[in-house]
Amino acid sequence: MNAILFLLPIALILGAVFAGLFIHAVRSGQFDDLDDPPRRILKD
Amino acid sequence: MASEIIRGAGLERYYAERETWAPRPEPASGSWDRVPVSLDGNGRAVARVAVDGLRCASCVWVTERVLENSPGVSAATVSYATGRATLQWDPTVTDLPTLAGRIAALGYRPRPLTEAEKPDRDLAARLGVAAFAAMNIMLLAASVYAGWWGEMEPRYSALFHWTQLVLATPVALWCAEPFFRGAWVGLRNRRLHMDLPIALGISILYLHGAIATLLGRDAYLDSLAMLVALLLAGRLLEARGRRRSAEAALALATSVPRTARRETASGLETVPVEALQPGDRIDLGPGDEIGADGEVCEGSGQVRMALVTGEAAPVMVGPGDRVVAGAVLLDGALSVRVEAAGRNTLVSRMATELEAATDRPVEPSAADRIAPWFTAATLIIAAATFTGWWLLRGPPPALTATVAVLVVACPCALALAQPLAAAAGLGASARRGLLLRSTEALLRLERVTLVVFDKTGTLTGGALRVAAAESETLRVAAGLERYSNHPIARAIVDEAIRRGIPLPRASRVQEIPGNGLSGELDGEQWRLSGGGPGEVRLIDERGESRTIRLADQVRPDAARTVAALKNEGLRVALLTGDHPDIATRIGEAAGVDEIVARQDPLAKAAWIAARQAEGNRVAFAGDGVNDGPALAAADVGIAMGQGASSSVLVADGVIATESLGPLLAGRRAARAARRAITINLRRSLVYNILAVTAAVAGLVNPLVAAVLMPLSSGLVIWGASRVEARVRREEK
Repeated sequence: MNAILFLLPIALILGAVFAGLFIHAVRSGQFDDLDDPPRRILKD
Repeated sequence: MASEIIRGAGLERYYAERETWAPRPEPASGSWDRVPVSLDGNGRAVARVAVDGLRCASCVWVTERVLENSPGVSAATVSYATGRATLQWDPTVTDLPTLAGRIAALGYRPRPLTEAEKPDRDLAARLGVAAFAAMNIMLLAASVYAGWWGEMEPRYSALFHWTQLVLATPVALWCAEPFFRGAWVGLRNRRLHMDLPIALGISILYLHGAIATLLGRDAYLDSLAMLVALLLAGRLLEARGRRRSAEAALALATSVPRTARRETASGLETVPVEALQPGDRIDLGPGDEIGADGEVCEGSGQVRMALVTGEAAPVMVGPGDRVVAGAVLLDGALSVRVEAAGRNTLVSRMATELEAATDRPVEPSAADRIAPWFTAATLIIAAATFTGWWLLRGPPPALTATVAVLVVACPCALALAQPLAAAAGLGASARRGLLLRSTEALLRLERVTLVVFDKTGTLTGGALRVAAAESETLRVAAGLERYSNHPIARAIVDEAIRRGIPLPRASRVQEIPGNGLSGELDGEQWRLSGGGPGEVRLIDERGESRTIRLADQVRPDAARTVAALKNEGLRVALLTGDHPDIATRIGEAAGVDEIVARQDPLAKAAWIAARQAEGNRVAFAGDGVNDGPALAAADVGIAMGQGASSSVLVADGVIATESLGPLLAGRRAARAARRAITINLRRSLVYNILAVTAAVAGLVNPLVAAVLMPLSSGLVIWGASRVEARVRREEK
């Protein structure tokens, strides 16, 4: 059980990194339009 | 009438073929160039733009001050209620893109009124982080709750508690910021805003959680994170529903490629209509929408101006005649010298004026109206609980019970009640062809007592029908017209087929530009040409002419729709600029209660205002620029999607299909949404009363709260998901 004393903080740091990446992705417009891009390929 | 020759042959062909022969150029340079800018008497430019992300009166204040202090700006007013800014500046010093940049630099999102609201990325980021934290906190909390009866070693439960606090901190301080801001603005304006109890609940949950963690006791941090995540999800969903409707409506408004063929030294080039300049010469063929106001220099043809003037009959134009942007050339060919283009055209100026007149302040939602009472009641009960427990048992149980009261009373369900149901209602309506711009429009539609239809293009569709003709005349005419796709031609051929006349084949059929057809049949030379309004003449070699009378047709579903509306207890009226005889015929065919003819655009609006003064709530459906004032005056203005784009822009909603049925579907969706909102509010109030009573009695511990909270929100989400099902059931 002692492992959890190290693993939890590491998990938290990893979580923070991914949350940061997520915020970056949202701010750069990745999630602005969830409907059109999958269909765009069919239009050509 | 022969008027309704619209979207017929020319336009439909245009749509079918536009991918191949009408390239759609990119806007000249950035979308700000398309915003209508007018010049006032003193040479200053005036324009209106939308500003998203204004959260409060002080946002408005800051924006106005910053703009007014920009070089060249003489006046700037920003409306919080409508999220729109009116700017006045000196065009020699600055320009609109620069001013838009200034607004953007403050963190707000300026956009042209003709573009849909941009997604709120900030809200999405906050939601993502809150959801991530909530799931992890719940995981940890579940393991602590599982150790509720003491199986967990103290150091592990302490670690879990501290980890929860670490995860909950960004949720409370950053993700929940919009609620704190909302509450603060409400307080500053001396209003008890819905965000106030939410902000209060979040603060107390967080402070209590932090203290409990320090003391090694159970915190309610899982409830906190979940609460924030759900509330943010509700806001995001509502914004998305609203944006989708607006985007779809705007897509309709701009679906016609707005291009023109401009004459150059070497030939012709295709340019966006915005790029036209006075003095340019443009060429127009059958089916083309005229892109600018101007004078005909060469050629002749029939022009349909109904969208602009409301006059149904096409007008014959030739050299020296004036044409206006938005009119459609039905046949013939024209070369037009541009006199006014882009934002200076008659249509554009009318649209700008209308747009300025349609700012409606946002009504407070049901939840907003309840919020002050709710907040006051919660605070009083919390205070009473604290005092009561203090007197009976002393401070520690008093504090626990008070926190429990504030936690379970936190109006998560109450705040989600309206946005979720409204988003579901907007979606259900949009899927059935009525795109509504806002929650308010949806709810107003449900309260309508009088539905008013315009005639041309609304109650009547594009199709023509032969009203009267001799069979022999019809036979010859059908023989000539059988090769054509023109709406008149189709009406004649269809009528011949209906009467069982075998279709002959004419030879040497030739189109006479702007004036019908000629051809040979049975060894004789025939000519078909437009007669008076609503007539086609068949002329033989000797010059003798026979008449075919055409009538404009009520939409196939008009009578059914009108009957259904009357069945719902509404009154239905026809309001038109046309002749009383025609209005009576169409009105009777559709079965309306009241027929009002010969009304000009302003009289239409006045008529609607008069009905409103009598206590009616009026919905108006129309399609042209000339219907603009009426669309703006009505409680709910609904534009026909294939109508003029400027009428789409001033309307509260747009019918996207070629029928009136979506109006009924929209009413069903509105009723279902209204019902879901009422049920949701009732449910969340019942939940709150029960939960608060339990909390006052000291029966609520963290585990109970962790179960109760999502249960109440889940109930509200389930209520909203019933909207679509209810609409379907009503359709049967």
